[in-house]
Amino acid sequence: MYKRKLRGPLIEGDKTLGQITREVLNPMEVKPGKWWYIAMGLSLIATLFGVYAMYVTVTKGIGMWGVNNTVAWGWDIINFVWWIGIGHAGTAFSIFLLVLRQRWRTSINRSAEIMTVFAVLCAALFPTIHMGRVWNMFFLFPYPNTRGPLWVNFNSPLIWDFTAVSTYLLISASFWYLGTLPDLATVRDRTASKVKKAVYGFFSMGWTGSSRQWIRFESLAFVLGGITSVLVVSVHSIVSTDFAVGIEPGWHSTIFPPFFVVGAIFSGFAMVMTLMVIVRKIYRFTDYITDNHMDAIARILIFISLIMGTAYATEIFISWYSGSEYEIFTQFRNRITGDYYIQFWGMILCNAIIPQLFWFKKIRRNWIALLLISLCINLGMWFERYIIIVTSLSKDFLPSSWAPYTPTLIDVGVFMFTIGLFISGILLFLRYIPIMAVSELKGVLRIGDKKDD
Amino acid sequence: MNKSRKRTGKHDFTRRDFLRIFGYGIGSAVVLSACRRTVQNVLPYIIQPPEITPGKALYYASSYYDGHEYASIIAKTRDGRPIKIEGNSLSAFNGEGTTARVQASVLSLYDDARLKNPSIDNTETSWEMADAGIIGDLAKVNKEGGEIVLLTSSIISPTTIRLIKEFGRGFSKFKWIQYDAVSYSGIIEANMICFGMPVIPDYNFRNAGLVVSVNADFLGTWISPVHFIPGYAERRKPEIGSKEMLRHIHYGSGVTVTGSNADIRKKIKPSEEKILLADLHNRIAVLTGQEKLPGSGFREDLAEIASELIASKGRSIVMSGSNNTGIQIIINRINYMLGNYPRCIDLNNNLNVASGIDSEMQALVSEMKAGRIGALLMYNVNPCYDYPASQDFIEGLKNIRLTVNLAVSRNETVGKSKYECPVNHFLESWDDAEPVPGQLSLAQPCISNIFNTRSLQDSLLKWSGKAADYLGYLKAAWEETYFPQSGMTVSGDFWNKALGKGLFTYNVPPREIPKFSEESMKHPSVIRASLMEPGFEVLLTESIPLGTGQHANNPWLMELPDPVSKHCWENVASVSPRDAQDLGITTGDMIRIREDLVLPALVQKGQTEGTISVAIGYGHTDSGLVADRKGINVYPYVGMADGNRIYGFTISKPEKTGKHTDLALTQLHDFMEGRPIVRSTNLSKYKIDPSSGNEFHEEFESGHRTLYPEITYDGFHWGMAIDLNLCVGCNACVIACQAENNVPTVGKSEVTRHRVMHWLKIDRYYSDEPDNPRVFFQPLTCQHCDNAPCENVCPVSATNHSSEGLNQMTYNRCVGTKYCINNCPYRVRRFNWFRYTNNRAFDFISASDLGKMVLNPDVTVRERGVVEKCSFCVQRIQEKKLQAKLENRTLADFEIKTACMQACPAGAIVFGNRNDEKSRVSALFSDSRSYGLLEDLHTLPSTRFLTKVWNDEKKNL
Amino acid sequence: MTRSFKIGIFDDEERFIASVKTLHEKGFLIYDVFTPYPVHEIFNMLKRKTRLPTAAYFLGLTGAAATLGFLVWACVISWPIVYGGKPFNSFPSFVVITVVITILFVALGSLAVFSSAAKILPGRENTIFDLRSTDDRFVIVVETVAPDGSDAENAGNLMMKNGASEVVVKKIEKVIS
Repeated sequence: MYKRKLRGPLIEGDKTLGQITREVLNPMEVKPGKWWYIAMGLSLIATLFGVYAMYVTVTKGIGMWGVNNTVAWGWDIINFVWWIGIGHAGTAFSIFLLVLRQRWRTSINRSAEIMTVFAVLCAALFPTIHMGRVWNMFFLFPYPNTRGPLWVNFNSPLIWDFTAVSTYLLISASFWYLGTLPDLATVRDRTASKVKKAVYGFFSMGWTGSSRQWIRFESLAFVLGGITSVLVVSVHSIVSTDFAVGIEPGWHSTIFPPFFVVGAIFSGFAMVMTLMVIVRKIYRFTDYITDNHMDAIARILIFISLIMGTAYATEIFISWYSGSEYEIFTQFRNRITGDYYIQFWGMILCNAIIPQLFWFKKIRRNWIALLLISLCINLGMWFERYIIIVTSLSKDFLPSSWAPYTPTLIDVGVFMFTIGLFISGILLFLRYIPIMAVSELKGVLRIGDKKDD
Repeated sequence: MNKSRKRTGKHDFTRRDFLRIFGYGIGSAVVLSACRRTVQNVLPYIIQPPEITPGKALYYASSYYDGHEYASIIAKTRDGRPIKIEGNSLSAFNGEGTTARVQASVLSLYDDARLKNPSIDNTETSWEMADAGIIGDLAKVNKEGGEIVLLTSSIISPTTIRLIKEFGRGFSKFKWIQYDAVSYSGIIEANMICFGMPVIPDYNFRNAGLVVSVNADFLGTWISPVHFIPGYAERRKPEIGSKEMLRHIHYGSGVTVTGSNADIRKKIKPSEEKILLADLHNRIAVLTGQEKLPGSGFREDLAEIASELIASKGRSIVMSGSNNTGIQIIINRINYMLGNYPRCIDLNNNLNVASGIDSEMQALVSEMKAGRIGALLMYNVNPCYDYPASQDFIEGLKNIRLTVNLAVSRNETVGKSKYECPVNHFLESWDDAEPVPGQLSLAQPCISNIFNTRSLQDSLLKWSGKAADYLGYLKAAWEETYFPQSGMTVSGDFWNKALGKGLFTYNVPPREIPKFSEESMKHPSVIRASLMEPGFEVLLTESIPLGTGQHANNPWLMELPDPVSKHCWENVASVSPRDAQDLGITTGDMIRIREDLVLPALVQKGQTEGTISVAIGYGHTDSGLVADRKGINVYPYVGMADGNRIYGFTISKPEKTGKHTDLALTQLHDFMEGRPIVRSTNLSKYKIDPSSGNEFHEEFESGHRTLYPEITYDGFHWGMAIDLNLCVGCNACVIACQAENNVPTVGKSEVTRHRVMHWLKIDRYYSDEPDNPRVFFQPLTCQHCDNAPCENVCPVSATNHSSEGLNQMTYNRCVGTKYCINNCPYRVRRFNWFRYTNNRAFDFISASDLGKMVLNPDVTVRERGVVEKCSFCVQRIQEKKLQAKLENRTLADFEIKTACMQACPAGAIVFGNRNDEKSRVSALFSDSRSYGLLEDLHTLPSTRFLTKVWNDEKKNL
Repeated sequence: MTRSFKIGIFDDEERFIASVKTLHEKGFLIYDVFTPYPVHEIFNMLKRKTRLPTAAYFLGLTGAAATLGFLVWACVISWPIVYGGKPFNSFPSFVVITVVITILFVALGSLAVFSSAAKILPGRENTIFDLRSTDDRFVIVVETVAPDGSDAENAGNLMMKNGASEVVVKKIEKVIS
């Protein structure tokens, strides 16, 4: 085992193995606090509102939304891209850091991964519901049929999207589940209740922790990690092709794939930070999720925020440099100025400027600041998608077809549904699944520990 | 409902059974169309009539005349249902051209607001009862020596006129008055005074070199655009070597289609018309050494125009849209001095389209109020809505013993008379028409009566106690009058030939045009100063979509945007930008014009300062679901002077109310932002370099590269060329497309949300001068790009490219991701946001069984959630291709015509096979004026536009 | 047939590793060891190997080949359609899907391999020698075969000497693993 003294211990408070188990599993064993029920209630209300909105959308038609014959995509695709971006938290975290052997990830990756799963679920909802005839969605599968067989159009970025997102969902889910196996087993072996034993017994799939299982477990983790790290890059690149392959001014740009991937990781990390700040406060996990963790995420965010800033600048510069009057119009007269300048400058402020506060150690160590700034970033990333989609569509090539876009309450409703789904999902996770990868924590217990010095 | 279960004829078969049969798929049961045979009612096929093959269209030549607008037409019927109206190419009057209203008229046949049964005192009854009552009352009134008045819209059917006269002879005191909602009596009277001929002359643009029009919207609404446009367009072709291109100077208050097409458009106030024309008259008089009118000069630029007019003596037309006798007399003298009779202005082959005399109507109303009228029979008129003093008229009705109203469908006048006698729709009736002396056309039914209705003529015959039905009467009349003229031997052949063509022409001996009577210049109406007192002047104009408002219940027309202002579903007050600034209002703000007249303002670039234009025809109260409560009825503000109605009034100043409403605008941005969208040049430049104004094209062509092997189209490669120089922006194509392709109507709120469904729209752009901009029209539809961006992105292959270069859309494969809409740089794809058929929320036509009968069975009705767009009328392409194949021949050029191409009166749209280098379309594609829209995107559109060529402006004009 | 095991339970990682070492050198038949987290020293000592990466590699190859093959067949042979003037075989757009589906192949495939090799399946109940081994104990299980039980004796002593917190004997009818 390798040791490092540069940073403080990954886990503070000089714990024993048993102690870790007890402390981490504690939330599952005691009744949750009042806040849990309140939060659950609220998110369920949001979800119900969303269910209504979706019912209306499917029964009456997409016309219930704010989209029109000029701006045919609105909140639906904005939210899709936004959620997918957040969905990069888990993979980015556990897999990049796993592959980079950043052992400090261990106390965060579990929750990061569960976020991914729920975020991608939410994201997947939008391309589905935004179809005019969702009941024909199966047309998107290239299945053998009696119409020729007529396959799908493999040139369409939407097909790429469809494939990539569903694959991503499948793999990130199984990756996350694999990680929980040993901990589920731990729960199984500690609990007294018959029911729990049976349930966790079933889901822990006969994990014993024998060396035979451990070695295969680790090697599978690395295999999945390895290939999924490709997905982290590919998924959002593919999402970006929805726009980059398009002909619209402000879309048709080669910077999009990297720009989108970075943006995704940006929002993903921001969301992880939001969640972690809250969790460690509520469950007093400051020993596991230490200030050093927060600090590390904050540093990463500064770095990415700089990249984002550069990307925005590049986009604007290239649009001018291209000499294409349409591109120039979109960037300078429809984004920087124009009907949607508030969203544009909101995006710049939230993504490129505010995160620079993280240069100050005081702020990196102040949980309220962390919370607020991470929320800012998520807002900013939402603005970014709004700008990309709405401004490009509303004023493109023929002025005769220019039209503005305003969302309706139903648009909001569908968004509410996903928010509700996400939060209630996280809440259930906190209640019924070990919040941190216990076995991995134990593995890193003594890293940077005084005993080794 | 049981009330309406009345027998339609001798057979036990009722209207409702008829509807039920239609309600189900037409394939199962078909109506015997009543053409050439007088079958009165509907039967399922027991023995199939020889001329009807289910699924095959039948075409009947007929005539359209609604008392205001005439066109010789071909009605297309499928399985007994008229579903489309085309122009009759054999007709000398309008050729194959039609207008939006003619195109839409087929829908009014299936209007739920049509009257379904005769009624007495608003309780439904049978014809027997009604007839008995009317005949009895007529006899009584006659015996008591009461005056019997027949009030009709203008009637151009010689046989009907003859019948009316005969009918009148049956009574001691009978008067026949014709009444037009929009009157031309000023012109008629002026010509009576000047030449002793009470007619509207024909304006012959083919012989004209210079046209000066003053508030005369002859390409949009004035007299007979469908007749004027072809001639005008023909003379606007810039081909080198041909005659000099027609020069057009327009003085306008509001911005009309005509003003938009003029080479020079100048702004005047209505009150200035007379001064301006008097000045022009005097300058010409001076130059030609003739007597002047009293009055001072008006504008210096008139000197230039005067000399130009003299320069083109005998080849010019000066016209005014005013309904004022005085102004028209001055016009006549100007034209007389310029020797424009008869070459350019023809009093012999005059236009019969309107013959109402306002003073007669005025007299009638006062007599009605005085109770001096014994009986009033009304046909196809709606004075309770469109007569200025409609209240007086309604008062008058009450003093009349016997009131009979004959109307096609519900309107404000219906229900105010004792007897309601619903008449046939013109597609259900026999008739003839003589729009121009010697040019006759027949109208024949294309479907037997849908409702329990009866034509005017049959009623008159019945009430005058004649046994014959009108068909017999008509045949007899023709045999007597026109058969001898035909030079044919067998009268049956003559009739069938005429009926087949729908036309018959005989030469009328040209009358000697009397000298212009100089006396007329002393006519009081000439002497008097302008009728409109200066101030803030409100102009009441006809709109292209609705015209007089007679067809307001037609959803297609209601949703047709005004060509210039691009708003629909209501009438607005167009104010000039400067006035808007002074008033502190923007488009959509409600302004108070008069105490009781509050309208949404629309800031109209090019509107004369100090004027407001408002369209008549809106604001119905009882004309059907679509028409009612849309906009405001401004007929009550029409004034009366010199015995003529004047369509305008003066106010001190409009006030802003602070209220705002969202207008249903189909285009929000007015400028091209310097992009090469509509390319234009002027004649002199064009003569030097035919590709002038189109320089970009060369550039883009030279940049035409591709990494991929180019797709080749052996066989057909369809293409469309649109000549922006010929397109006047009349919008006939828009409705033609809607009728052909079952395009849904979505209603005001949806239009306001930018979801109008028109597959073909006419874009309108302004040049940069905000006060008086140039106006450019550009018909825009799917460009059928060979490198179509929309095709790449459809995930389910619902849209892809055909081997004939069509960008095809497969509705039942579409899942509605809308990606193609976003990726179409032309934004010509439309999404079905809701279910527009069988949906009471969109109760325009397609929600009722009756309305659905207008649907074209060859075109799918799109489901909610799918994308649709122009298909180049692929159903027509297939039909003709198969026909050619069966006849084992190749397709001729122009054999396939898209709906828009066929409807265009200017011939601006040409469709054909690009692979056939002899075809017109490939000729136009290689024309140096032709360019592809947004060709810099390398989408390789199969639609090409031809540069707009303006005639040169003289510097001091 | 009943199998009997000698089970040593440690609460310290170092001692546990040391005792495994000695047991291994003395040639005792170590059935398996159970730990709350992976202890890599043991893997090398007990020569634990896995061929999972190799499996994943070949899964990847098949996935890529199959996907690309299908795409080309579907777009060029089965039903060629023109989209926006592109050739039927528009290879660049095939790459994307090929990559993604390949990853899917690898992921699902290696999951299957793992589940069969490591005996991991929903509802499966492998024998657990000591419940605490998933919590904070390190467990060595030595299978004893000598009828007189001498080897069990020695193994026990050895583990005690190496600092096992306790040593127990288990006789199990049927071992599931």
